[in-house]
Amino acid sequence: MKTGMRKERIDRGIKVRSDGIYALSSWREMSYLMAPRALLVGGLLLAPLILHFFPYWQKVLLIVCIYALLSMAFDFLANYVGLVCLGGSFFVGVGGYGAALLNKYLHFSPFLSIPVAALGGAAFCTFLLLPCLPLRGVYFAIITLMYPLMMTRIIEAFELFGGTNGMMDIAGFANPWAEQYFLIISTLVFLFALRRLAVEDIGLVIRGIKDNDQSVRASGINITVVKAQALFCAAFLGCFAGAYLAHMYMWAGLSMFALDFSIIPIAATVVGGGGCLLGAVVGAILLVPLSEALRAFGPLRIVSYSLILTVVIVIKGEGLLNYLSRKYDQFERWVEI
Amino acid sequence: MLVAEGLMVFYENMLALNNISIKCGENQIIGVFGANSAGKSTLMYTLSGIILDQMKKEKMRGGEQITVMGEISLFDQDISSLKPHLRARRGIVLCPERRRLFPESSVLENLKIGAYMATKKEAKETLDYVLEIFSPLKKLLHRSAGFLSGGEQQMAAIGRALMAQPKLLLLDEPLLGLSPAYQQVVMESVKRIREMKKISIIITEQFARPVIPIVDYAYIMENGSRVMSGSGQELLDNPDVKAAYFGV
Repeated sequence: MKTGMRKERIDRGIKVRSDGIYALSSWREMSYLMAPRALLVGGLLLAPLILHFFPYWQKVLLIVCIYALLSMAFDFLANYVGLVCLGGSFFVGVGGYGAALLNKYLHFSPFLSIPVAALGGAAFCTFLLLPCLPLRGVYFAIITLMYPLMMTRIIEAFELFGGTNGMMDIAGFANPWAEQYFLIISTLVFLFALRRLAVEDIGLVIRGIKDNDQSVRASGINITVVKAQALFCAAFLGCFAGAYLAHMYMWAGLSMFALDFSIIPIAATVVGGGGCLLGAVVGAILLVPLSEALRAFGPLRIVSYSLILTVVIVIKGEGLLNYLSRKYDQFERWVEI
Repeated sequence: MLVAEGLMVFYENMLALNNISIKCGENQIIGVFGANSAGKSTLMYTLSGIILDQMKKEKMRGGEQITVMGEISLFDQDISSLKPHLRARRGIVLCPERRRLFPESSVLENLKIGAYMATKKEAKETLDYVLEIFSPLKKLLHRSAGFLSGGEQQMAAIGRALMAQPKLLLLDEPLLGLSPAYQQVVMESVKRIREMKKISIIITEQFARPVIPIVDYAYIMENGSRVMSGSGQELLDNPDVKAAYFGV
C-alpha cells in the first residue's frame, strides 16, 4: 500500500475526441480510429502475397483463418451469449460432411457448396442443440462435447459417408488465389459483421441474457429464440470453416470431429482476450503459427505449447488484446492524493 | 479495539471513500448511516479486507483499478495489508449485504461452514445460542437456504457470521428488505448478541430510525465522506440529520 501516490488511468484526449462526432474533423483522429483496423485488414489481405514464396506458410495462413472463425464462434457464445461451447469440432464436422455431400452428389461448386453447407449445417446444429438452450450452466458445454464423439461413432458403426476412410475426391479450388482470398475476405467480413451485431439491439438482448436471463424474460422476450439465433450465427461460422476445410483438403473424414477444433479456439480466445471477438482472431493469428513453429520440438511440442499458454494466463489473464487496447486508449500517471 | 485512519478507496478514478476515520471501542455498537453511493459497503469491504481480494481479481482480468489507502489497526496491531481470511481469524467477521448465503446448502450446513475456525465446543455453544436468539431457524435447519424468506435468510446470515466467533461483527445493511416488525426483531437480537457475547458491532443502514436506539456512536456518510458523527441522541437532535435519515 503506497501512501500519498496513486496510479491514475485516463483516456487519451484523442480517444475522447474520436469517440464523438469530431472523429471526422482531422486526419489524425481518423487515422487513430482506423489504424488498428487497417493493420488487421491490410495485414491479412497482404499476407498471401508476402507468403507467395512460402507455400507451406500460405497453408498455415488458411489454418489461421479457420481457427480464427472457430475462435470467434467460441468467444461470441462464451462472452456474449454466456454459453460455454466445447463443440467447435461438431460444427466443423457437420459443415465439412455437408459440403462434401453437396459436392459429391449434387455437384455443387465449392463457392456454392460452402455457403449452403454453412447455412444448412448451422440449422442442423442449432436444431440438435435446441433442447439445452433454455438452461443455464454446464448442460450446453457437456452436450456440445458429446455430439462430436457421438457423430464419430455413428459414422463408424454404420459405415456412413465412407466410414473410417472418409469421403474422397471432393472438388478443390481451381485457383489458389481464389482459394486464399475467399477465406480471408470471408473471415474479415464475418468478424466485422459479428462485432456489428453485438452492438445492435439484438446484441444488447443477447448480452442481457448472459448477465441475467430472468430479467430478460421479465421484459417479455423469449430467450430461447434469441439464444437459438445467436447459436445459429456461431454455428454458421464453425460450419463455414468446416465446409471450407473439406474443399481445401479435398476430403471429409472423421478427423474433422477431432478435439483440436474445440480446444485450440478456447486457447486462442484466452490468449488474445475474450469479449471483443478481435481478441479471438489475434489469438488464432498468434497461436496457430506458434504451434507450427514448435513442430521442431517434436514430442515436446505440446509441452512447450502448454507452458506458453500457462505463462500468458498467469501473467496477463485479461488477454493480449484487452491489454493492448487499454494501452492504446489510455495513459497512466502517478498522482498525489 | 478497531481504529481506522484516513481510509481512501478509488474505483478507477472515482473516489468511493474520502479520508474516512472511524473508531470502535470494545463492546460498542457503532452505526454508519448514509444514502445510496455513500460508501457504506465499500467501508465494510475495506474493514473486512474483502476489497483486497476484489482488487486482485479485477487486476487479474484487467478490469477496474482499485486503490486502497489508509491504516486499520485491531487491538493496536496494524492489519492494513492483511488478507481477508487472516482478518477473520483475528476476529473481524463480515455479514455481507444481501446475505450471500450458500443457497444449495441447508441452514445447518450454512451455520457449520461459518464455524470452520471455531473449536467443536465453541461451535456447539454458538449454535445453541444462535438458535436461541433466532428461534424461527430451529424449524428450518434442514431446509436449503435458497428457499428461505428474506427475513429468515437474514437471520441465517447473521447466525453464520456469529459462528465464526467474531470479536468485531460487521453487519452490512442487515435490515435490507425486511418488514418493520422483522426489523425490530433483528435489532433486538443485535442488542442481545452484544450483551451476551461482549463483542463489538458495526452496522450500516440507509434508514437510521430502527438502528439509532441501540447504537453508542454513529457516523453519517455522504458521497464517500464523513459529514457528521456523534452519539445517537446528538444526531437525533440535529434537524438536518432528522430530515435526511429519520424521515421526520
